[in-house]
Amino acid sequence: MLPKLAMVDPVTSQRWAYWTLLCAIAAFLLFAKLVPLDLSAGKWPGPDWIIAISFAWVLRRRDYVPTLLLAVILLIFDLLLMRPPGLWAALALIGLEFLRSRSALSRDLPFLFEWALVSVVMAVMTLANRLILAIFVVGQPGLGKDLLLLSATILVYPLVVVISARVLGVRKVAPGEVDQLGHRL
Amino acid sequence: MARDRNSNGEYIRPVRRILVGLLVVFLLAFFLVWRIDSPRVERFRAAVVDRVVPSFDWALVPVTKFSEMVSNFQSYSRIYEQNQELRSELRQMKAWKEAALQLEQKNAKLLDLNNVRLDPKLTFVTGLVLADSGSPFRQSVILNIGERDGIVDGWATTDGLGLVGRISGVGNNTSRVILLTDSNSRIPVTIQPSGQQALLVGDNTARPPVEFLESPELIRPGDRVVSSGDGGVFPPGLLVGQVALGPEQRLRVRLSADYERLEFLRVLRSHSTERITDPGGLLVPETPEPAQNVAEAGDG
Repeated sequence: MLPKLAMVDPVTSQRWAYWTLLCAIAAFLLFAKLVPLDLSAGKWPGPDWIIAISFAWVLRRRDYVPTLLLAVILLIFDLLLMRPPGLWAALALIGLEFLRSRSALSRDLPFLFEWALVSVVMAVMTLANRLILAIFVVGQPGLGKDLLLLSATILVYPLVVVISARVLGVRKVAPGEVDQLGHRL
Repeated sequence: MARDRNSNGEYIRPVRRILVGLLVVFLLAFFLVWRIDSPRVERFRAAVVDRVVPSFDWALVPVTKFSEMVSNFQSYSRIYEQNQELRSELRQMKAWKEAALQLEQKNAKLLDLNNVRLDPKLTFVTGLVLADSGSPFRQSVILNIGERDGIVDGWATTDGLGLVGRISGVGNNTSRVILLTDSNSRIPVTIQPSGQQALLVGDNTARPPVEFLESPELIRPGDRVVSSGDGGVFPPGLLVGQVALGPEQRLRVRLSADYERLEFLRVLRSHSTERITDPGGLLVPETPEPAQNVAEAGDG
């Protein structure tokens, strides 16, 4: 734990640690995307890691992904990656809040169900994005590329979940588990 | 579910819901403003890029260099083949060099004979590529030169050999170059030697297609494509690439600029050519005053 936070109570400092971690991951992803390594066109679109990570975390510990923080991160992503600013961030927030309200529900369900739920949310987000862009007559890439991006994100989701749980310690709360202050999680 | 899902209490939830709703509305409003008043928001975007990207600068350059070193190191494994290739290329190049030298001398003589002055204003600023667009759907790069260095929207950018793109979005210290492969890029080109005018239309692939050709049967693969300067966007005569026949029998352009490693880009300062705005006056004889004199003389 960071020495500055050692004075704060452990629950808050743990939360802050995960928020900082989320920011650091976002900064790293942005950096990795911006490095000008190969500029030839026609590459395969990679997965949308930040969406996968935030969805996986919010279904495990809903206090680890604050809405405002993710909104700021996604807006910066929109602005820097030349996407229509705000739209993808808004859709992702709606998806995030939908999952957040079901995080307690999906606690007892098997992983396959969670995976299907997340996939459906992501697919609806992608479709809504395309639909709104079409309504506002914004030029957009072919449907095939968007579908590739979507399926890549869905495919890496289990990997993100495993890494979050094993390496970063973002696990589902066991029933009846309490934090250090005795509140139910 | 009967159990209280949120341990935060009863009234935090509705308040929270309203706040999240406001946040979503704000983001959608941002998108709407972008759609209505795009230039203003794009200027804001350029300002954000200007703040954020140079702060990555210290890491972006070393990482790029390092990965280039790795890829160069990998190429050692096939050094023998490369050597052979280079030797045969060198032989061809020598022949071309001889031809170029002769042409250069001839050209110099002709220019001298005609007393031609090349435009002294056509100079360039060289910038370092800081970052790429980061999205597979957009083809653009960010340079480390901007308004401070006198960069203006719309200037042409080359990599020393071929045209790379056009400046679109200038911040104080950075500027964005839309590459020819971006799906928003349209530039007027001339195809030599037939001299046909066409548009090079970026479509997110490495070989952008040529469209709006008058008579495609005059074009052969291998013809040179240069910028035409139509519409006053680009200076004419910049090399773009060579025509190639795509798999679906569509004419595409193999770009001369090496898009796989863009490091330094030259931004050509092009000063807008004088526009002829006068529709042309009537050519009438200037004779009102002598006529008056004659009339007075007649009276008197």
